[in-house]
Amino acid sequence: MSTVLILNLAWQISTLALVALGLAIVFGQLRIMNMAHGEFVMLGAYAPFITSSLGLSPWLQVPVCLITVGSIALLMERSIIRHLYGRMFDSLLATWGIAILMREGVELFFGRGYQSVSPPVSGTVSILGTDYPAYRIVVICIILLGFTALYWWSKTSKIANKIKAMVGNPDLAQAVGINTARLSSGAFVFGCCCAGIAGLLLAPTIRIEPMMGLDYLIRSFFALVVGGLGSLEGLAIGTGVIAGTQTVLGAIASQTYGYLSVLTLSILFLWLKPNGVRSSSR
Amino acid sequence: MFKKSVSLLPSAALVAILGSVPSFADIKIGVLVPDSGPAGLFGPSTRNSATLAAQDINAAGGINGEQIELVFADVGVPPAEAAQAALRLWKGQGVQAFVGMHDSAVREALIGRFNGQVPYVYTPVYEGNSCAKGLYITGETPSQQLAPVIPFLAEKEGADKWYLIGHDYNWPRDTNALAKGYISDAGGEVVGEEYLPFTVSEFDSSLQRIKESGANAVLITIVGGASVGFNVSYAGFGLDEQAIRLGTLIEENTLAGIGPDNADRLYSSSGYFATIETEAAATFESSYTDAFGSDAPPLNGLGQSAYEGLMLLSALANKAGSLDVEAMDAVAEGTNWSTPRGDNTLTGRHMAQTIYLADGSGGAFNVVTSFDNVASSEICTE
Repeated sequence: MSTVLILNLAWQISTLALVALGLAIVFGQLRIMNMAHGEFVMLGAYAPFITSSLGLSPWLQVPVCLITVGSIALLMERSIIRHLYGRMFDSLLATWGIAILMREGVELFFGRGYQSVSPPVSGTVSILGTDYPAYRIVVICIILLGFTALYWWSKTSKIANKIKAMVGNPDLAQAVGINTARLSSGAFVFGCCCAGIAGLLLAPTIRIEPMMGLDYLIRSFFALVVGGLGSLEGLAIGTGVIAGTQTVLGAIASQTYGYLSVLTLSILFLWLKPNGVRSSSR
Repeated sequence: MFKKSVSLLPSAALVAILGSVPSFADIKIGVLVPDSGPAGLFGPSTRNSATLAAQDINAAGGINGEQIELVFADVGVPPAEAAQAALRLWKGQGVQAFVGMHDSAVREALIGRFNGQVPYVYTPVYEGNSCAKGLYITGETPSQQLAPVIPFLAEKEGADKWYLIGHDYNWPRDTNALAKGYISDAGGEVVGEEYLPFTVSEFDSSLQRIKESGANAVLITIVGGASVGFNVSYAGFGLDEQAIRLGTLIEENTLAGIGPDNADRLYSSSGYFATIETEAAATFESSYTDAFGSDAPPLNGLGQSAYEGLMLLSALANKAGSLDVEAMDAVAEGTNWSTPRGDNTLTGRHMAQTIYLADGSGGAFNVVTSFDNVASSEICTE
């Protein structure tokens, strides 16, 4: 394998893991089929334009992203989502409607046209004898660090255990004094903020327009289908299989075969192993 | 931006209607625009350009002395629905001629529905190979966009090793089939050819293949948002230093998405750019800004093509003395008319026009050169 292929694999897997993380939390932990997941990625990608249209410094893009995405997610959870816990199909319909509203809202503010963001780090760096975009290397490192921290947190934190308890048996969890309303609200907002941050990080490397969210929703679902819900290990396996198949087959055969294999794999998993490779909470 | 343009649209349309109130028997022209769907981005600029054309036609005395009135329909929908919408305008509202800016599938459905009984001008860039009674085409075809441009780039940029990459459907394949001939005539060779499914949004492996092919020029026929993603990654990998890019459907919106950092040595070949520096184009742009405001949807080749289409319809109908298909077909060959694009001639039902080559370096199109009176290799003899 050439160095570029290895780097491309690292890029594809890490970015897909980042994008799918938010969905893994909301869908995997709270059992809310969040069809508006891609729209939170889209909102995050628009954060640089929200920042500049408010006349703020580019350094404030991360807080602006978190505040915008977080407040919309909180509003959505308090007004609609909280009535839909345990009603997966209803949550699918409701969030699909919200997704359309969010697309139209962004179109109203920023127009339908494409936007572009300059990367904070430009140019290429030479790694192991090949030139690779510097910004991508930075993003891969940030994602690795972030996931390491999250993994450590999920193994040690009490909140992670409380979430597991709440999902496993909400009534019992409430009875032992866990504030499930606050906990699920927090988990939902956290999941959406992850999607927003993914959008912000990826913004300089992708097309930005109101309809962009759909791509990310579909690929995230594929990764969750393969990997299974409820664990970071499952997420890692799912993104590795989906992004890995597309990247490797795209490189040695063609993009058409790469995508065909991803679809075939997803169908096979849905059919033969609907809980994915790893599922901790079923 | 979008909100303002929406609120301006009705008022602009109102002006057009009020302005033509005195003449009672208006001629209704159906203008088919994509308000929704993948091409919906081009809906507003198409409507605006058509509205300007109607104002200019009416100011010059209308069609055969009668004022015209535009009736719009959304054709950014599946072909069967689009044909229904057109039929409602034609049979229901008494529309006497059509101008359409939409995809090829809709065009074929409309040709079947119209059956040569109503004049129909098709305006966007297209793959060629469409002939029908009463059909007139103003859009650029691949031969027009490539025949003069490939030899020019061979000389100016030394482009002789071409990599052809596009989406997997007939427009890119037809374009590349023609391109191969022009490339070998110019002494170059094709070092790679690749077609991508529409669903692919990551281009890393294709970019690696371009790098390894040693290409010094890439012909891009990837369409829509994917073109933005491809070009952003292309420059991210520093390929803009290795090879120039030439696109035949990279207009102002796409370039805005690609961004100033990623557009070095990105050429676009088209019959229209908002930055053409001729008097006619400058006048058109200033009346567009006057009518729709400085934050109106930006002008681009697709949207502006609706202006071309209406102007051709008016020229043809005035020459024939009616909007009857037989009469128009009889006089069509050799019709001359001038527009913001330049001086045009109808040959073989296609528009021989000026082709502009623009460089997108720095994020704005800078017209490098132009080729006058480029005829299409598409000839309809009917």
